[in-house]
Amino acid sequence: MALPLNYNIRNVLVRWRTTLFTVLGIGAVVLVFLGLRALGRGIEATNANTGDSRNLLVVRKGSQAESGSLVSREQFRTLRDLPGIARNAAGEPLVSAELVMIVSAPRRDEVGEANTLIRGVTPRGMELRSQVALVEGRWFRAGQREVVVSSRLARRFAGFEVGGTIKAGPDRLTVVGHFDGRGSAFDSEAWMDADESRALFDREQYSSVLLRPADDSLAAGLIQRIDHDKRLALRAEREVDYYSKQTMTAKPINYLAGILGTAMSVGAVFAAMNTMYASVGARTREIGTLRVLGYSRRSIVLCFLIEGVLLALLGGILGCATAWGLQVELAAFNVSFGTLDFQSFAETVFQFRVTPDLMLLGLGFSVVIGLAGSLLPALRAARLPVIVALKSL
Amino acid sequence: MNLPTFILKNALRNRRRALLTVLSVGISCALLVTLLTLQRELTVPPESQAASLRIIARNKVSLAQPLPAKQLRVIERIPGVVAVSPFTYFGGNFRDETLTSFAQFAVDPVRFRGLLVEARVMEGSYEAFEKDRLSCMVGIETVGRYGLRIGDRMKFTGTFYPVDLDLKIAAVFGGTIDDRGVFFHHKLLDELSGDPGTVGTWYIRAASPEVANDVIARLNGAFANTAAEVRAETERAFQLGFVSMLGNVKMLVLLISGAVVFTLSLVTISTMSMAIRERFRELAVLKALGFQRRELFAFILAESFGLAALGALLGVGGAWALWTHLDLQKLTSGFLIYFEVTPRIMAWGAAVAALMGVVAALPPAWQTARMSVTEGLQTLD
Amino acid sequence: MVADPIVSIRDLSKVYRQGEIQVTALNQVSIDIQTGEFVVLMGPSGSGKSTLLHIIAGIDRASSGSVLVQGINVANLTESQLADWRNQNVGFVFQSFNLIPVLTAAENVELPLLLTALGRAERRRQVALALDLVGLADRGHHRPDQMSGGQQQRVAIARALVTDPTLIVADEPTGNLDAKSATDVLSILQALSRDSRKTVIMVTHDPKAAGYGTRSLHLEKGEIVA
Repeated sequence: MALPLNYNIRNVLVRWRTTLFTVLGIGAVVLVFLGLRALGRGIEATNANTGDSRNLLVVRKGSQAESGSLVSREQFRTLRDLPGIARNAAGEPLVSAELVMIVSAPRRDEVGEANTLIRGVTPRGMELRSQVALVEGRWFRAGQREVVVSSRLARRFAGFEVGGTIKAGPDRLTVVGHFDGRGSAFDSEAWMDADESRALFDREQYSSVLLRPADDSLAAGLIQRIDHDKRLALRAEREVDYYSKQTMTAKPINYLAGILGTAMSVGAVFAAMNTMYASVGARTREIGTLRVLGYSRRSIVLCFLIEGVLLALLGGILGCATAWGLQVELAAFNVSFGTLDFQSFAETVFQFRVTPDLMLLGLGFSVVIGLAGSLLPALRAARLPVIVALKSL
Repeated sequence: MNLPTFILKNALRNRRRALLTVLSVGISCALLVTLLTLQRELTVPPESQAASLRIIARNKVSLAQPLPAKQLRVIERIPGVVAVSPFTYFGGNFRDETLTSFAQFAVDPVRFRGLLVEARVMEGSYEAFEKDRLSCMVGIETVGRYGLRIGDRMKFTGTFYPVDLDLKIAAVFGGTIDDRGVFFHHKLLDELSGDPGTVGTWYIRAASPEVANDVIARLNGAFANTAAEVRAETERAFQLGFVSMLGNVKMLVLLISGAVVFTLSLVTISTMSMAIRERFRELAVLKALGFQRRELFAFILAESFGLAALGALLGVGGAWALWTHLDLQKLTSGFLIYFEVTPRIMAWGAAVAALMGVVAALPPAWQTARMSVTEGLQTLD
Repeated sequence: MVADPIVSIRDLSKVYRQGEIQVTALNQVSIDIQTGEFVVLMGPSGSGKSTLLHIIAGIDRASSGSVLVQGINVANLTESQLADWRNQNVGFVFQSFNLIPVLTAAENVELPLLLTALGRAERRRQVALALDLVGLADRGHHRPDQMSGGQQQRVAIARALVTDPTLIVADEPTGNLDAKSATDVLSILQALSRDSRKTVIMVTHDPKAAGYGTRSLHLEKGEIVA
């Protein structure tokens, strides 16, 4: 026989001062855990949201990212002439050989510099990336030292506003526009003319080749053919697969979330235990009365477990709500985060992303804290002899 | 009996609560110390005497852009430069690893000798490394970690360079601030990649710390307005540059530390008010017996502070012991190296906990001071 | 008697608010108490007897009127002076003993002495004396939960005595005791007033207990009726 839930709720609320402190503490634990996971999720979501499922990306075998890859002009020609490649309305093959370079630029808000990724891109490459759209200024002109940067990146670096300049050694690139990558990895890039970039950086070779098979059924065959060609020593992959695998940067953050969340929740369990023991102590006589009225030990245990979980769940809801509010605020002010991407070796820009499944995880986290914190006090309550409980003052 | 005994007896009255309080303060404190140490690890690269003399010159465009090898002749002639060697990050993966945590650099072994002055060759000989174009010199930590010996081969798959390496260990070094690296012949890298005539960076040693700034200015000036402009900085400034690349990490760690301190104070405050509320009537009795407000306040303060201090001792000491004796480098595959819990960090952790102990005593102390004796006596009657 | 009274109460009133209602706990009470008297305050619940006791003992304040104890107007003392005054002049005995559970009997008795300048040896001597007086010389090292109610109350009396106060105030000291223990406690209080010339003021609603006093005062609705 269980006690009515109302009884539990009232008991949690009647000791509101102690309850408040414990709820806030658990809320802070859930917030830290959720906040970190939201950053990790932001990085993952950025990469998962990048690319066109019809495209194939070709890089050098052994390289881990485009920035460490080399594709010679010869290799590029071989790729371009492969059968089964889509053509656009003008009859040109949808193949783009691109150069990915890293340029060190000063940060806008703080002292110090960070790397930005500059992509030398062809008109075909832009055609292949429909995610990217111009939002301000104009596109770069072929043969000009002009660059269009992502508007998110522009907020993080000095001189990236339209009309500003990016210094690349002795050379200067003029920023002529801003584009929006719609939450993709392209939001961490700056684009310029492919041939001009090779001249600027004095590169014979390309970094990667992006292409689109004429029909999706041809994709697997093309991938196999490129992979198995010993002369080419290249590796082809669906563009979306390539990006979704670039999750290394999120790993340490998720790792940190796990460690910190666990360590903090142990502290929160102690706090919850304190509160629940105090509750049992103050209600000794009440527990005795309930037992006299015929409630079993099991229902007493259940009663205190429910109270512990209720307490923790309040904290969990608070933590989730704060994280959610934080996301709304950050989005309202267009705040994005950035860190060094270990694979591209350039700044990667991402959003704080609290998803429903993360919130459920946070709530689950708080329930576990509640259960762990109330188990021992509940058992103690159930073990109180009825007589002693009634005598206690 | 005396007053301190009385306070102690009171604090330990509810042993379980005292224990839980001490433990939760301890855990929060250990976390805070850990976070501060993490922050230090990420933002303050280790310093060494020799490093303040060393200068790294990279391409102004970015670290990924190479420099022409012919710059060597110009650099050599700059006054104050005592040694210079090409220093090219290879960025290979060892064996089948997907992310190797120790770096490999291509250097000119003869010139490099004048740069890594603090290093001691622990095994093998530097001459053997100099002579054999296919050999390498490996840091003692890497050798120890993989159980390697002189004469063993190390195979690397290039991620930045389209070439693979197969090197023989000729010497093992130690005694530097980071004994993990692998050094091999730049000539070998040139050969394998078809003599591009470039190097990654230049590694330079200045004659004295006083001339170091001068050397940096001359280096930057020497190649201004050439196709490959140079950005020279001390090794330390170079490392700090990486920190800047980490972006919002510093702010993040500070925010989390704030949340931990917040939780810490909540826990201590709630425990203290619980402990005092339980004893309200007793405090009223003490008041009736003639104890002054300040004496009651001292009781509460001493108890709260004492529990917090004990928790701090446990947490700070525990964190210190854990991070000092744990091989973090192995556990995080090289992401965290020193993770040194400095006295300063420990002092911070302890100070925050002590402050919490004092702050937690305030609300119940205020309540006690305000309560009238008759009210206090009635609370449980 | 020609001697000045030890306690002189004039026109004492106590009014407090309970929610919306104003309650008059004491209404213009005047009493004189002489040294060595054992005054018993009686009356139904809410008659104001406990309030009167609390005000005399300096743990509650009057709304108007004066309380002179040995010529000192207690109402004029500051909170801090009052605490010292209580320590030196008043010994308390409560209905529910109010001993500190973590301390032994001797340590409980010693508690008020910690506020004095007495040395450790002297404190011990006084504690032993007080415990001997209540017949618990051999129980000093026991903790409250190892003693019967009667013994606990006798420890509380020893605690009240140990500072050699002018006044001993007892609020229903036998309320939680069995008949035998109650008799013991009342005999001790009686002996204190008769043999040691201590002034004892006791609140009770037990007519048998009242028989131990030298004078009984009946209160009803905040006024002395007999």
